[in-house]
Amino acid sequence: MNQETEINLEQQGDIAIFDVKGDVTALSGPFFTKAYQTANDQGACKILMKFTEDAYINSGGIAIIIQILAQTKRNNQQICITGLSNHFQKIFNMVGITKFARIYNTVEDALRDLS
Amino acid sequence: MTSDEKLIKMFSESTIEVSLPNKLGYERVAMACSATFAKIVGFLPERIEDLKTAVSEACLNAMEHGNLNRSDRSVLVRMNYSDHVFIVSVMDQGEGMKETPEIPDDLDIDKKIEALEIPRGIGMFLIKQLVDQVEFNQLTNEGHMVRMLLRLEG
Repeated sequence: MNQETEINLEQQGDIAIFDVKGDVTALSGPFFTKAYQTANDQGACKILMKFTEDAYINSGGIAIIIQILAQTKRNNQQICITGLSNHFQKIFNMVGITKFARIYNTVEDALRDLS
Repeated sequence: MTSDEKLIKMFSESTIEVSLPNKLGYERVAMACSATFAKIVGFLPERIEDLKTAVSEACLNAMEHGNLNRSDRSVLVRMNYSDHVFIVSVMDQGEGMKETPEIPDDLDIDKKIEALEIPRGIGMFLIKQLVDQVEFNQLTNEGHMVRMLLRLEG
């Protein structure tokens, strides 16, 4: 029933782009952890999480994202988010994720600001 | 599930019931069903998205915490619309919580970030934020229930 998470990692200079596809749930933890570790190993100091507008994200997935935010804060990395539907932009704002990660409407806007 | 049991039952124009296997992922069936029903009765797309997330979170809590992930249990989702009020009751076969927790109006994300551990309580927080009224931890003859209400004009 669940569509497994897939994260393709792309590096643009010191920015690591997590291209997130599929559902973002409690089962997504290992995929985010692996992407984050790889980005760290490659020396990324900025991270862009790119979601799809039709993504199914539940509280289990939000908890995973908060864990990644905690690690980026501890490692002094900048992180931002793009691709979310209006509903999930509202949800991310509600839970306070926007205190730690800015949300952009497009990848281009996010990259421009991160560069 | 026996052959005479159905996943979705429509009792009348105003009441629909969905019986879900206790398996993560099947909350999507209840989300889709509630979204379709809410669209038919005239809810706006933005409120339907709120409803879908609230239904999803209530079902997840029922499966994980109420039914303790047991595959021999099920989750019953009853939807009723009348007098411009949409009510969703999500029932599990657990015993409920000893005490109904106080759900904060704000999530202390700083604390969750500092703790470096899996944050909890996000689902109940979201439900409270997204619906007009919610009653957690209700015990009925059919089991433990969460009852959520959304008003059409809301």
